[in-house]
Amino acid sequence: MTRRRFLEGTGAALAAATAAPALAKQSSGARALRVTTPSTTIQLTVNGTARRLAVEDRWTLAEVLRDHLRLTGTKIGCDRGECGACTVLLDGKPVYSCSQLAVWADGRSVQTIESLAKEGELNPLQRSFVEHDAPQCGFCTSGQLMSATALLNATPNPTAEQARAAMTGNICRCSNYNHYVAATVAAGQPRSARNAPTPTKISSAGSAVAALNVVGNATARIDAAERVSGKATYTADVLLPNMLYARVLRSPHPHARIRRIDTSKALALPGVKAVVTHDNCTVVWGAGSISGGAQYNDEMKKITKHRRYAFNNPVRFVGEPVAAVAATDRHVAEEALLLVAVDYEPLPFVLDPEEAVKPGAVQIWPEGNLSPNVRNETQPIGTRRGNVEDGFKSADHVFEDRYSTSFVHNAQMEPRASVAAWDGDKLTVYTPTGGIANCRTDMARDLGIAPDNVRIVCHYMGGNFGNKNQNQDADLIAAVLAREAGAPVKLELSRKEDFIGVHGRWPTAQYYKVGVARDGTLQAIQLRGFSGMGPYRKNSGNIAGVEIYQCPNIETSISPVYTNRTVSGNFRGPEYPQGFFGIQSMMDDVAAKLKMDPVEFILKNMTRQANDQTPYTTYSLDECIRRGAEAFEWKKRWRAVPGSDPGPIKRGAGVSFMAFRAGLGRSSAVVRVDAKGKYWVHVGVTDVGSGAKTTMGLIAAEALGVPLSQLEVVWGDTDRCPYSVGESGSRTTIMTGYAVVEAARDLRKQIAEKGLPKGDAVLIASATPSPTLQGKVRSTFGAHFVEVEVDAELGRARVTKYLAVHDCGRIINPLTAMSQIKGGAQMGIGMALHEDLLYDRRSGTPLTPGYYGARISTHRDAPEIDVLFIESDDGLGPFGAKSMGEASKVPAPAAVANAVANAIGHRMKDLPITRDKIVAALAAKGGRA
Amino acid sequence: MKSFTNANPRDLAHAVTLIRQGRENNRSVALAGGGSDLVGMMKERLVTPDVLVNLKSIKGLDQVTLEMGGVTIGGLITLDALASHRLVRRQYPVLAEAAESVATPQIRNVATLAGNVCQRPWCWYFRNGFKCLKNGGTTCYSVTGENEFHAIFGGGPSYIVHPSDTAPALIALDATFRIAGPAGERMVPAAQFFALPTVDASRENVLKDGEVLAAITLPPAPAGARSTYHKILDREAWTHAVVSAAIVLEMDKDVCGRARIVLGGVAPIPWRLPEVEKMLAGQRITPELAARAGEAAVAGARPLAKNGYKVPLTRNMITRTLVAIADRGLRNAD
Repeated sequence: MTRRRFLEGTGAALAAATAAPALAKQSSGARALRVTTPSTTIQLTVNGTARRLAVEDRWTLAEVLRDHLRLTGTKIGCDRGECGACTVLLDGKPVYSCSQLAVWADGRSVQTIESLAKEGELNPLQRSFVEHDAPQCGFCTSGQLMSATALLNATPNPTAEQARAAMTGNICRCSNYNHYVAATVAAGQPRSARNAPTPTKISSAGSAVAALNVVGNATARIDAAERVSGKATYTADVLLPNMLYARVLRSPHPHARIRRIDTSKALALPGVKAVVTHDNCTVVWGAGSISGGAQYNDEMKKITKHRRYAFNNPVRFVGEPVAAVAATDRHVAEEALLLVAVDYEPLPFVLDPEEAVKPGAVQIWPEGNLSPNVRNETQPIGTRRGNVEDGFKSADHVFEDRYSTSFVHNAQMEPRASVAAWDGDKLTVYTPTGGIANCRTDMARDLGIAPDNVRIVCHYMGGNFGNKNQNQDADLIAAVLAREAGAPVKLELSRKEDFIGVHGRWPTAQYYKVGVARDGTLQAIQLRGFSGMGPYRKNSGNIAGVEIYQCPNIETSISPVYTNRTVSGNFRGPEYPQGFFGIQSMMDDVAAKLKMDPVEFILKNMTRQANDQTPYTTYSLDECIRRGAEAFEWKKRWRAVPGSDPGPIKRGAGVSFMAFRAGLGRSSAVVRVDAKGKYWVHVGVTDVGSGAKTTMGLIAAEALGVPLSQLEVVWGDTDRCPYSVGESGSRTTIMTGYAVVEAARDLRKQIAEKGLPKGDAVLIASATPSPTLQGKVRSTFGAHFVEVEVDAELGRARVTKYLAVHDCGRIINPLTAMSQIKGGAQMGIGMALHEDLLYDRRSGTPLTPGYYGARISTHRDAPEIDVLFIESDDGLGPFGAKSMGEASKVPAPAAVANAVANAIGHRMKDLPITRDKIVAALAAKGGRA
Repeated sequence: MKSFTNANPRDLAHAVTLIRQGRENNRSVALAGGGSDLVGMMKERLVTPDVLVNLKSIKGLDQVTLEMGGVTIGGLITLDALASHRLVRRQYPVLAEAAESVATPQIRNVATLAGNVCQRPWCWYFRNGFKCLKNGGTTCYSVTGENEFHAIFGGGPSYIVHPSDTAPALIALDATFRIAGPAGERMVPAAQFFALPTVDASRENVLKDGEVLAAITLPPAPAGARSTYHKILDREAWTHAVVSAAIVLEMDKDVCGRARIVLGGVAPIPWRLPEVEKMLAGQRITPELAARAGEAAVAGARPLAKNGYKVPLTRNMITRTLVAIADRGLRNAD
């Protein structure tokens, strides 16, 4: 019995229940429905307008809204009802539109983000979101707004707790939870009672910070209106004429040789326009494997031994791309994937870095599992100072221990996508990149075309966290499919594919040996570390931390090791949170064993000069720690005897500190002015959510001596913007911002000499400075203070107080700066207490590839985070600004872990510190639990 | 998603007919309540129905009606409507608390009580498409694999834990399930609705193919009943219960009469504790008795390699919850 016979000829009941499937052209101009796909005509009221639509029974409400009604303000973050980005109101109630079929909404009313603003005017809730800097990358914002709208409809004056409860089903990976809650509560208050948030700022004792005109004032993002109204266009919102949809087929095996791929059935499926595999696509993905070298170094990519292609054989991790198809709609593309027949020969595999370096381990590459470095030498990363053996001999106490951290995914709200279109020889790619310039260079090199023939466009992107400052294999696959098919191609990854096919933080095992004098002064530190890189070394694999201590004798040896797991890559302080957790837990433990207050231990041993010998441009680490301890009431919250609170509910406090690169470097900017005195600032940024657009605008306005309203920032398009170092490594403000200053100064000089231009003429200035530090080291400093409460019987750990203190130089925009610091700290809490990508060991298959399984933090997991800025101005960079984007992620897990240890009197040495581990540890101790 | 036909039944009889017709024509049929979990599974191709019977189109199957002092709750009531229903909150708080603890507001706005009770397991082997006992295979991967969240009671051959929050509450309230099917209607006590894997490892309950859980009847709330649902999660929100307890104590001043204790998150079915219930009957709930009750609750536990922590966790949870319920009575009248 064929499906058609069934639909046409079966019981009357069924025919009556559904409309007969029919070909129907929709008024929106979408493709005609295929006759064999069951479809129904529905009546749906959308934002007050009655619509009559013919929909396939399998279309979700989200799909109808976005693809067929072109209401792209509603976003798809996971398509599985696990994240909330797709929240709309159905008959006034928030629902996940990705998890509701359109046919079920027949006769009902839907309200989307597009309904909130009236005639271009933001409503009070949207304005409150802007004022409180709720949207960072903006991808979760539509969903948060719809949940908040429903809340305010039912409860006009909600409390913070009510707001959190109502918005629990909306995840924000930028982790800006505090500001979403504050914005929602404020929207329910009378105008007079609302207070826009401002962080506490005090000047560093060693550095006078003179006030400026524009820079330093809390300023709403210049594109906040787009982010709160659904008008921001992200890559998946791009729709080009004749565009095809593409999907990728991925390896189910952790290690396998592909004997044969048969794509004939897939190619024969009506609607399929191209299929690519390693048989017909030999494009190298240079940035995918660079032996830990600089990603922007083309020479490095040419000599890398372990090359990573768009399609590899053998495949070396579950999720590795095997084939890709482009078809007329995404359902056809999905069906075509199922028709690609792959004959695999499974191979043995290894999952853990420490297992992978043992003799006899499965070899992932012929040269072995220890990744070679940029010179193709197979040796660990290491540093040395003094002689650790002498140090241990002279120490009064020697301690040894092991710490480990898990694979944590960037999990940015926007799933990876790429839209590629050829126009003759010229390629345009819309992609959620953090570096349009680097992406263009990479695409040109990998495809063998001139960089001038590549245009990269990214105006809005939903989160970056460090791993997108280059091209991605999705960009290459989309470009190749587009060339094959002769039509633009939109390649989309599911959330699961994003989790396992893209990159996350490398997991580590860290062995420390520490020698101290009896008064707590460090004598020697030795670190032997292992980083799990996946089967390609996409980034360094290093483990930082030793360098923030002052110690005469140090020795580190860190092995970046290949494993058959999802590839590891840069994620917000790529080598720092893991290492800082390890070494600062170790040192916190040493302090406890010496019965020293950890704050005293840090003050005694923290770095005062870089590598114990080079001065910092300005130094405020001691201030960060002292002022922070005072503001946090450290002495009241820290337990001198860990775990000493009576009863099962125990509190404790932990501290961590950081010093993090804020060096100068090369970037570009172009500034121009017209006869009317309007300015444009061209910068190669995409604004990943950090507020970079606004920061560049503020810097330009200050340097030009004009108000922000008199200038426009031009961004996100390589055809219009000059080179930028790209948004990773916390460098955009420092490097691109400095180029803006130089270009602005040049333009100001031109105006002083020639006056403003006349008529249609413009004056232009460009700058590509490459400043150096002349023998000093430039660093951001900080300290985090955390109080936790642990239920020793039920294993629940929650943060009850959090203070982040940072010297990021001069704060350009206190409003967006606060969001960055809070977001990084919250991500650190998640890394400490929840997040992991768990693997089934026998099959090498990831078991938790999604927001639900990986336990990404929700509103209820986010405590209030207080921020204290200690401002300094070393006369370098743009107005003395230093790095910030990664600064608060870096020390956070260490502070949380130290607080847990103080509360329960037991050191948890393996992240994440989940409930089951706490209960098991305390039960084993025989203490409580 | 694989293509399918959505069918909107007029009433329960029509729904049963649609299912029967589909199966007679060798079409696979799935039932949709709120649909959020089903749609996700269909996107993963864990279920690939040819026909989807949309139960939400049936009017009147979502009401709370008084019947002989008790209530009948239509299976299609949303968890949000159930949790905010004044009568349910007042007389059966354990059920309101359980419903309120599920997932997120967006899910509770569409998820139905019947759907929550009949929910498929959230075992990560099942959900990631491993061919296991739950989807046509012959093995349970958790036994020698990652079993941090799996069963410590009643496991074997499958070691899933039942994922429903409302199910333990309904058993603790002595609910009866009304099932509609091709052979008519039948009533099944909640305690007998759920089936151990030794009965049929591929299923979690006794629903036969073609049957629909239509309504749930609760007897009158006993006088002096104090009840609560304590759910332990793995984040602060959203996740299924690591372990949970639905507890109903019929109290006369501070003496416990009849007790009902049903656990979630520990077994393939909601796990009643008749021995502990007997321990509490006729006793004052003191901290010592609560502690002994906790010990008794986990006496027969058989943990797997990685879920041993569930034993102290369950023990402590029960002790803590019993003390809290007893304290409640000391502080205020119900």
